[in-house]
Amino acid sequence: MNQDFFTSLRKGEFRIPICVSCGAIAWPPSANCPKCLSPTQLKKSASTGTLLEFSRSHVTGKDGVFGLVKMGDIRVIGSFDSGSLAEGMKVKMTQCGLLDDGTAYYRFVPTST
Amino acid sequence: MHRVAIVSQSGSKYSKDSGKGIFDLACEPCARILNSENLDKANLGAVLFSSCTTEQYSSTILSELLGIRPQISHRIDNLCNSGTNAVVSGYSLIASGLCDTVLVVGAEKARSEGNKLGWDITRGSFMLPVHWAALFAKAHMRKYGTSEEEMAMVSVKNRGNASSNPDALFRNPVTLDEVMASRKIADPLKLLDCSAACDGASAVLLASEEKAKELTDEPVWIQGIGQYTSSASFANATADLCSIEAAKVAAQAAYKMSKTEPSQIDVAEVHDAFTILEILAYEDLGFTKKGTGGKFVKQDNIAINARGGIIGRGHPVGATGVAQVVEIADQLAGSAGDAQVKGCKKGLVHNLAAAGSSATVIVMGSE
Repeated sequence: MNQDFFTSLRKGEFRIPICVSCGAIAWPPSANCPKCLSPTQLKKSASTGTLLEFSRSHVTGKDGVFGLVKMGDIRVIGSFDSGSLAEGMKVKMTQCGLLDDGTAYYRFVPTST
Repeated sequence: MHRVAIVSQSGSKYSKDSGKGIFDLACEPCARILNSENLDKANLGAVLFSSCTTEQYSSTILSELLGIRPQISHRIDNLCNSGTNAVVSGYSLIASGLCDTVLVVGAEKARSEGNKLGWDITRGSFMLPVHWAALFAKAHMRKYGTSEEEMAMVSVKNRGNASSNPDALFRNPVTLDEVMASRKIADPLKLLDCSAACDGASAVLLASEEKAKELTDEPVWIQGIGQYTSSASFANATADLCSIEAAKVAAQAAYKMSKTEPSQIDVAEVHDAFTILEILAYEDLGFTKKGTGGKFVKQDNIAINARGGIIGRGHPVGATGVAQVVEIADQLAGSAGDAQVKGCKKGLVHNLAAAGSSATVIVMGSE
């Protein structure tokens, strides 16, 4: 795993590894490009995307609305405060980081609110 | 390639906590297999151990405990489809001529740390399997109108089948109302839409055609194998949340190798870790048209998860794929007891791991 990604995420920055040689995205993050195996370096990612699907978790400690978001060529599961969501809706990442136990989190809101 | 037969198979009784260690669990189903009078137990070609245990050198320890000095021994770990991966590896050792007998053993403790996939950062803080399963379910409902009741009927069917299986984790059947009223886990999935991790073990003995003739009068043949790995992450597993790409590719390969059409399958064990996965399996395996899986639950042309599936029988992660092969081998050998499907000639195993990011499909036959 690309440790730089975690360092960046810990600071609340969502930057994803891009291949220095062919420009491909390494997602999930990796120090090497999955296409040509050259090194990658972090670049700031677009913070907007499309909500593909969403649900509500009732699991204690993991509760809340969550959804699969497509941002450019990557997909990620994030959390939402609002339950008034729709598939295909444009959304924006407002916050990201690492919890104390090392779990990543990504928070989104609809761009219309 | 040499033909490969399953000559003996056995499973253990599943439980939430057996009170046994991983090796005691693993030895349990092997006793019936290894006590065959025609078998040169000490000199088996290989012992393959399917488990997510964090115990090191585990297949070698298991070999010693079973009194076997195999040529080849190693552990195979691929989360929920570890078991079928181990069977495929055993098949390869015999088909290539490297071994003439392979013992494949799957065993797991319910609380094994190795059962969890912590690597997939694309899942954010929603790391549990039920979270991706809920997204599959929502997508299928939205696109094809599949209902929560249709998903619940998978649980009713499989728990009903498990009620006559003395080895099953859950022996009590459930009603549609009970499934629908069970505690919400991740919408639309409820507690009774989900399988449960448990302690359990299963084992099969594979043999070359020549060796099989010495060991049994009723060999079950592995006729076709398909496997595919699309990713390890949920993000890259499948573009369309209404199907499992890896399962579709694996099924096509297994059907092609075995020269089988989906309509020829009489019995199947499909990976129902969540009810929605069984509905997707109906479609991905070509049993019914895309989008009609919800309606297919009530069909009776193919006996699917006749001994309870993962929802009823339980889910000891590393043992599950071996257990699925045991169930189909029992059916094709005519030794499935109360669950026996009369006249069955072809069976199929469908085994997934980690959001369907990898899949195995095995076609087996009595001829």
